[in-house]
Amino acid sequence: MSFIDVNGVTKVYRRRAEEVHALDNVALQAEFGEFICLLGVSGCGKSTLLQILSGLEPATAGTVTINGQPLAGPHADASVVFQEHGLFPWMSARTNIAFNLKARGVPAAKRQQISDDLIKVVGLSGFENKYPHELSGGMRQRVGIARALTTSPKILLMDEPFGALDAQTRGIMQAELLRVWALHKATVVFVTHSIDEAVFLADRIVIMTPRPGRIRKIIPVDLPRPRDPTTPEFNEHMRLVLNEIHDDISRLATR
Amino acid sequence: MASFISRLPLGAIPLVLLVIAWEITARAGVYSVALFPTPTEVANVFLKEWPLLWKHTQASLARVAFGVSVAFVTAVPIGLLIGRYKTLDRLMDWTIQIFRCFPGIALIPLAIMFFGIGDRPAIILIWLAAFWPIVISTIFGVKNVERTLLAVARAAKAPDSLVLRDILLPSALPSILTGFRLAAGAGWLTVVTAEMMAVKSGLGYMILYAQMIFRPDQIVAGIIVIGTIGLLFDQLIRMMRTYFCSWQEGLVLEA
Repeated sequence: MSFIDVNGVTKVYRRRAEEVHALDNVALQAEFGEFICLLGVSGCGKSTLLQILSGLEPATAGTVTINGQPLAGPHADASVVFQEHGLFPWMSARTNIAFNLKARGVPAAKRQQISDDLIKVVGLSGFENKYPHELSGGMRQRVGIARALTTSPKILLMDEPFGALDAQTRGIMQAELLRVWALHKATVVFVTHSIDEAVFLADRIVIMTPRPGRIRKIIPVDLPRPRDPTTPEFNEHMRLVLNEIHDDISRLATR
Repeated sequence: MASFISRLPLGAIPLVLLVIAWEITARAGVYSVALFPTPTEVANVFLKEWPLLWKHTQASLARVAFGVSVAFVTAVPIGLLIGRYKTLDRLMDWTIQIFRCFPGIALIPLAIMFFGIGDRPAIILIWLAAFWPIVISTIFGVKNVERTLLAVARAAKAPDSLVLRDILLPSALPSILTGFRLAAGAGWLTVVTAEMMAVKSGLGYMILYAQMIFRPDQIVAGIIVIGTIGLLFDQLIRMMRTYFCSWQEGLVLEA
């Protein structure tokens, strides 16, 4: 059995009289230490799947097991990095980073030690006493990643974490994420709508398609890291992925 | 030039104009001099009878400070709980909406019947008047917390006590302080009224007594003190807000 096993997961939202099939019979396996990207146009259910994996949303049908255990609620070995404003604006970077530890009742001295270590790892030294409104978008996401790593998670769930960043910062953060991931081995499930981001990061790209949300295809990316987006091999993968989601993009454009 | 203008206490200009208009009206003899004191006469009350003014001001201030403080420490925890738990909110909503509409003044006869003449009825009325605005603004503040932040707490399995103290309280603080500002105003209004009926000291009592001994200058002096203290309260709470809610910088237009 795989480390993460998603089996027949369906999610139906009820919006007034209307039923929205966000996910339909999704099956997905991931091994420990794998980097998975969930890719697709908006409305394909990739964020919903991540929500279910994080235990924040229950599935309407189907099961998720982690390490053989059925998932019920947030898993102790999983951490979530949220899209944009997952930081507490009234807490300094350091206090934000220590929050997940505080939630687990870790004593203050230990919290301080772990967060100090991670401040160095994610490159926040000198910014640890700043408040979120004093930090740039990239720095804020570093805080979010550091906070997620404090509990040494085996699963890192990331919901379009770099979606709001400019292209340059985004590139830097992608490389930084891979560097940190090499230090803290974990299974990463990373939601994105950017094809080059997925090809740059993932071991396997899970392409999803909307209405209802289904897995269309899973494309492995077996390029060595660090990957160079200018190589023909990289572009070959981009083309493969683009072909798969082309229909969805044009459907979305003509809607 | 622009910065010079922005630093002028512009708020003082209408007040100065008002005093000038008052002086002119008084000197023109539009109204009987015995009934309409001049600014000079009122200024004399401040100069020559300040021990009397100070004694009554102190009495009123002590009552408001006590009543509003009690309201603050009782209303904030109750508001946090009501804002957090939906069932409690549904349970209390009608009651709050009814009770907050009772003008403190209407309760004075009851308060005198129950508690006699003295500090007790006055303080209880101030507490009641100040309680509702703080409860309501606390509930409002809690309900307006950013959803993602609660998801962060849920994903981290944060216990409810931590959510209330580290997330909901600071998140609601700007709103709580707005409620506090309204409460201080309501408390101040109530104290003056209560002192006209239920107590034998304080500015309200002094003003009513001045009417009986025909001292319009004392009445106006008392009113000026009431207004000035109202202004000082307001400035103080604004300063508290700037101090405690500096994390809001850049998030809102003006604190």
